[in-house]
Amino acid sequence: MSVNRWLATGNYFTTYKEEQRIFYTSLDRIFCVFFLTTLFIWPFFMELDSKDMLVIDNILVAVIAILGLNLVTGFAGLISVGHAAFVGVGAYTVACLSRIIGDQHVLITHAWPLMIMFSGFVGAIFGGIVGLPALRLKHLYLVMATLSFQMIFEWTIGFMDFFNQGQTIFVGRVFWFTGQVGRKEHYLFWYYALLVVVVLCGFAVRNLLRTRYGRCLVAVRDNDRAADAMGMHPGFTKVYAFALAGFFAGIAGAMHAYLYRGVGMESFTLHESIQYLAMTIVGGLGSLTGSFFGPAAIKILDLQVENLAEWAVTFLPSGMNLATALRPLSFGLVIVLFLIFEPRGIANWWRILRSYVKLWPFRY
Amino acid sequence: MKTYKISIWLMVSLVAVMLAMPVSSGAEVYKLGLSLAITGPTSDAGNPYAKGVEDYFRYVNDMKLLGKDTIDCTIRDDKYETAITKRNFEEYLDMGIVFYLNYSTGSTLGLKRDFEEVKMPVIPASFHAGNLEESNYIFLPIASYSAQAIGLAEYVVKNHNGKTPKVALFVHPSAFGRGPVDDVKKSVAAGLGMEIVEVVEHGKDLDNTAMLQRFKSKGVQYVISQTVQSPVAVMLNDASRLGLVAKTFGEKGKITFLGCHYTGGNDLIALAGDAAENFYWTTSYIITSEPGVGTDAQLALAKRYGRDDKAANSHNYANGVMVAQVAAEVIKRAKTRGKEVTKETLYEELLAMNGMNAFYPVTTVGPVTYSKDDHQGVDTLQLYAVDKGQFKSVGTPFIPEYTGKIK
Repeated sequence: MSVNRWLATGNYFTTYKEEQRIFYTSLDRIFCVFFLTTLFIWPFFMELDSKDMLVIDNILVAVIAILGLNLVTGFAGLISVGHAAFVGVGAYTVACLSRIIGDQHVLITHAWPLMIMFSGFVGAIFGGIVGLPALRLKHLYLVMATLSFQMIFEWTIGFMDFFNQGQTIFVGRVFWFTGQVGRKEHYLFWYYALLVVVVLCGFAVRNLLRTRYGRCLVAVRDNDRAADAMGMHPGFTKVYAFALAGFFAGIAGAMHAYLYRGVGMESFTLHESIQYLAMTIVGGLGSLTGSFFGPAAIKILDLQVENLAEWAVTFLPSGMNLATALRPLSFGLVIVLFLIFEPRGIANWWRILRSYVKLWPFRY
Repeated sequence: MKTYKISIWLMVSLVAVMLAMPVSSGAEVYKLGLSLAITGPTSDAGNPYAKGVEDYFRYVNDMKLLGKDTIDCTIRDDKYETAITKRNFEEYLDMGIVFYLNYSTGSTLGLKRDFEEVKMPVIPASFHAGNLEESNYIFLPIASYSAQAIGLAEYVVKNHNGKTPKVALFVHPSAFGRGPVDDVKKSVAAGLGMEIVEVVEHGKDLDNTAMLQRFKSKGVQYVISQTVQSPVAVMLNDASRLGLVAKTFGEKGKITFLGCHYTGGNDLIALAGDAAENFYWTTSYIITSEPGVGTDAQLALAKRYGRDDKAANSHNYANGVMVAQVAAEVIKRAKTRGKEVTKETLYEELLAMNGMNAFYPVTTVGPVTYSKDDHQGVDTLQLYAVDKGQFKSVGTPFIPEYTGKIK
């Protein structure tokens, strides 16, 4: 290891402990602190419209969900196409309680951090149950199992009166120490709440990957038989990977419910699951930083394509319906292009950039 | 020389400042917002609807119907997704809108609390009666889906020959489709003499043979649909292939098909072709296959702004024009009464739109009336039936009796 960590042009590890550090260099730590500080203080200097705050909040919700999906699909190598359903489980946990005890009940409005945690645990239980087929199934067959869960979820919500047949179930406004969070500060409040959760979840995942449980995920992904031979339990690892993914998804779902102050079926369909998968691929499978880049990239792309479609529809004949196709077209194209040209996702660009900065001004 | 240069610079600066200053002519711009599905699911209805709204507001501005004042209505596509509608609505609030036009049932129900909180008068394109529950600010433009389905059921009962008519309900698997089911059942319980044999929530089936054969074996004589055109077209095509479509209303051994607002129109004829013959449809809008003052105005408006025949003849174009007419009318009335045009005053004007103050747009078969207890605009319905590839009026406009009885 370099004597002066500020000037390190490479990472030289002499012990395993060093290799497992959260931050490899002091520069990394400083950058992270600076970046997080910026994220926390920018709203004091800049006021955004409610619409833009909602978009940012939405990205943060997706980041929490993708942290979970990246654990199961990226790190453990188990493809899940039912992730939106897990997010839905979290959202409907809050919604169902809201329906049973009333959306103005103190548990919903005051004990919301508890509700969010509880939704995470419900998500984890469902994740664990859906993960059980992973004990016997692999690859395409496991995909089918997760797809089945998505279908069952959609059917259950769409047809049962208890879930309002997929129509919006309202969730009350929450309270903070300063009183009820009103309409004016709603999105800003949830920005901070989401940011805190994102930071906690991010560090939780980073820490998990430093433990034997985290290394088990990667080992099982790379070769489950070899992992088994080395004393790991591939079955248990796969189930807890799903449970962990369900936990993060549940938290994301609950926060989505509070953010939108209601839960409707539309946000948890198969299309959303595919979109989550796309965010993971574009961000970078099996990469923590990819979990942040993916949702931001896809959500911003979606927004830009929306604007483009809106503009295109003004002069294109309605019969062509090209504007309708623009969104799925661009979405599919981005995934294909990333799979072909950058399978390691945006996280790899970040890695390259960091390497460049680290070596600068030396080329070697 | 120096003084001369300074003078020149001062002159230039003055001109620049004057050019940069906003021109104060005293004209007001009233901001409105519309969020709807221009692309994605149901865009076949949303597209002409958006054009109707856009054209009428352009007409108001071009013809100076509000004097120097103008309407600036921002139209955004929400792709039939409530999350996007919510985002659009937040954007409109940031823009300072005084009136909001919404579209789908799902988003209207989902944003109901937002409308209440910000006290924003809203007219959606959804006629779901549930929109009005626990809501003060949502106003349906025409009779609800429930009223339409009950109206069709009443027509069946009145015109059926023989024993109690057996009816099946064919509905969309959503609040939009399910809305009228309970109200029709309540009407039957309240004395409407018909038997509901089955309620079918259709999926995305491309073949309804099994369902139709089941209807046949159960003796179903009428099918009332509350959905969009394409599933109805699939059903009609299959019924035609099986020889089940009644040639005349209530023909024995056959099935007569009927439907609410979004099941019919020219798009249904285009999709179902000959199978659409003798399909009964109800709405509160006038249609261009029945020429009159209203349809002439509708076609002239579409022509003025270069719309194609498909849009010009769409009942959803009329639908869009009508909600824009109501919005423009309340602005006009608020101005006439010397009120400042705000969401509060427009809400007051909507509530006062009844009795002598009822509004008569030429695009509907009856007047638009709202009050504190009545948030359903046009109560009158017109029945149409397909005759030689065109929808033609059947009887005169009517108001369903049982809507009052089941309240």
